[in-house]
Amino acid sequence: MTDLASSGTRRTGGTAASNGRGLTGLLLVSAPVALLGWLIIYPIFNAIARTLLAPTETGTAFSTDTYVRFFSDGYALANLWLTLSVTAVCAALLLAICLPLALYLRFAKSRVAGVVQGLALFPMFVPSVILAYALIRTIGPNGGVDLVLNALGLPKINSPYLTPWGPIIGLVWDNIPLTTLMLVAGLGAVSDNAVEAARDAGARPLALLRHIILPQIGNAMLVVLSFTVLSIFSAFTLPYVLGPASPEMMGPFMQRTFSQVMDPRMAVTQAVITFAICAVFGAFYVRSIAKNREARR
Amino acid sequence: MAQLTLKNLGKSFDDTDVIRDLSLDVADGELVCLLGPSGSGKSTVLRMVGGFETPNRGAILIDGEDVTRVPPEKRPTGMVFQSHALWSHMSVAGNVAFGLKLRGLPKAQILDKVQEALALVGLEGYGERRVWQLSGGQQQRVAIARALVLEPKILLLDEPFASLDQHLRERLREELRDIQRRLGITTLFVTHGQDEALALADRIVVLRSGEIEQVASPDRMYRAPQTRFVAGFIGSMNFLPCDMRGGVSDHPLFTVRAAVSDGPVELAIRPEALTLLPASGTGARVHRVTDYGTHLLVDVDLPDGGRLKAMCPPSARYETGQEVAPGASHVALFRGDAKLAEVTVERRVADHV
Ligand SMILES: Nc1ncnc2c1ncn2[C@@H]1O[C@H](COP(=O)(O)OP(=O)(O)O)[C@@H](O)[C@H]1O
Ligand SMILES: [Mg+2]
Repeated sequence: MTDLASSGTRRTGGTAASNGRGLTGLLLVSAPVALLGWLIIYPIFNAIARTLLAPTETGTAFSTDTYVRFFSDGYALANLWLTLSVTAVCAALLLAICLPLALYLRFAKSRVAGVVQGLALFPMFVPSVILAYALIRTIGPNGGVDLVLNALGLPKINSPYLTPWGPIIGLVWDNIPLTTLMLVAGLGAVSDNAVEAARDAGARPLALLRHIILPQIGNAMLVVLSFTVLSIFSAFTLPYVLGPASPEMMGPFMQRTFSQVMDPRMAVTQAVITFAICAVFGAFYVRSIAKNREARR
Repeated sequence: MAQLTLKNLGKSFDDTDVIRDLSLDVADGELVCLLGPSGSGKSTVLRMVGGFETPNRGAILIDGEDVTRVPPEKRPTGMVFQSHALWSHMSVAGNVAFGLKLRGLPKAQILDKVQEALALVGLEGYGERRVWQLSGGQQQRVAIARALVLEPKILLLDEPFASLDQHLRERLREELRDIQRRLGITTLFVTHGQDEALALADRIVVLRSGEIEQVASPDRMYRAPQTRFVAGFIGSMNFLPCDMRGGVSDHPLFTVRAAVSDGPVELAIRPEALTLLPASGTGARVHRVTDYGTHLLVDVDLPDGGRLKAMCPPSARYETGQEVAPGASHVALFRGDAKLAEVTVERRVADHV
């Protein structure tokens, strides 16, 4: 009898407590949600609305003219295409550079690994602006490389810094630390024993990579890819500081449309299109993270 | 037919010797347990045999063939790790089939072998499960099947049951023993549990700080430990310090005669070699009685402040505080770490008091 009674009260107590906790949780969540709505969601819809409402003599009217102009303008499309291909090339290069680096950092037992890690993380502490000027001073016209070549009596290089390779070199260098860190974190999920068991079963390094390591970090790789794509696609500082190029990346393009062409509605349209493409990758990123959680249960 | 020979193995990490100079022969079909406290270098020895560590000195021979520098993927050894060694992105059958696939066996043959291996460890019908759906014990069975399916010459196990609960551990231990006997596979088993070693091994190798302390059958290891360390590490043992004077021990309760030079010694007595008779004037009093059903374990406080554990028949009756006269049927004498003598003594019921 006493047992029943006491368990009854305890149950009501529990509900009350969980109610209280629910309210606190709601309050805690409400601040970031409000900020998100105010600073991100509202501007997005505001921007979309501004691009779709064209000013007329009598006020505003619905119109998709800026979108039509964007997608029929060869130069705008070339810029979009350039940004997409720079992003793709950067992502491919980053994986090609960072995966071996991360594998080395995760599995090497030598003391050199610490030095390599330090070097790999170094670019993270160099601001893009400084990196851009460094790039100009080394591979730009009459830069460091040219000076060396000149001293050796060789012809100057055809400077790549205003071609798409300028931003590619800079962006890859800039993104190596984060990409490597994320891959190393992903590789942490692969236990030493699992790798050793595979070697024991007869797996050579390539088979090990293909059948054991890559499948286990598949989700981490997706996260890395979507993350780097997001950050590179919307890169602004580095391509802007490197200087005017043609075609140009979406970031500087928007800025120029806004301040030099003085067509804010067109600039916002470019931003919305950029946002739409990023949102696709963003969705991808969120999905990989959710899957990651699920896999870990 | 597979013999394993370790010749003067030595291994150091960061300039500290972890394995000093270890030589061992494992006969065909034999199950040898490497037993020792944690940090004694058991895993290091096993990992050297499996190819995961390269010895700094010495050689490893399998069937007379030097494999010291052969990488694990080419060694005829199969390893079972303590835990977290299954590939979680594969099914149970996928785990077992992996090595066979790498060897390029035909599909039908792989299927047969996987079935057979899973049946061997009692996991028929579990092939399609994901490994994280299995219990800890089942996961270790899969790991054993995965190692055995490749028909290694030497099976290596590194504390495979250490993370399981007592009951499961005992069951898997027996199953492993059966499988090992049936296949006749030469096996090296690492454990820090002396009960596991006693239950499993044909021969036990006790390791201490990277050196072999004693190699013996479980029965010899228990009944005739050669060093004080082994005597204390395997089973429980009472150690009573005293002095030898003219071939007789000066312990007030145990008069042991042995041809031993004068000086300090320790009398080592197993609990089951002790008998407790009711007596008065000995100063030894019952401190606590624990009834294990099959026997009583009696803690006795000695007048010099020491304590004895005695194993008594379950029918015996003792009360806390009761004075008793302990007598030993078998005593080993140690000085430092070395054994000086082993004596079977006749009872002396405190007649000198
Ligand atoms: N990879 C390693 N690097 C440095 N020291 C190690 C390494 N592996 C083992 N050791 C050291 O070697 C000693 C023996 O380790 P181990 O063989 O794992 O002991 P056991 O398995 O008996 O507990 C320990 O002191 C441990 O710290
Ligand atoms: Mg160990």
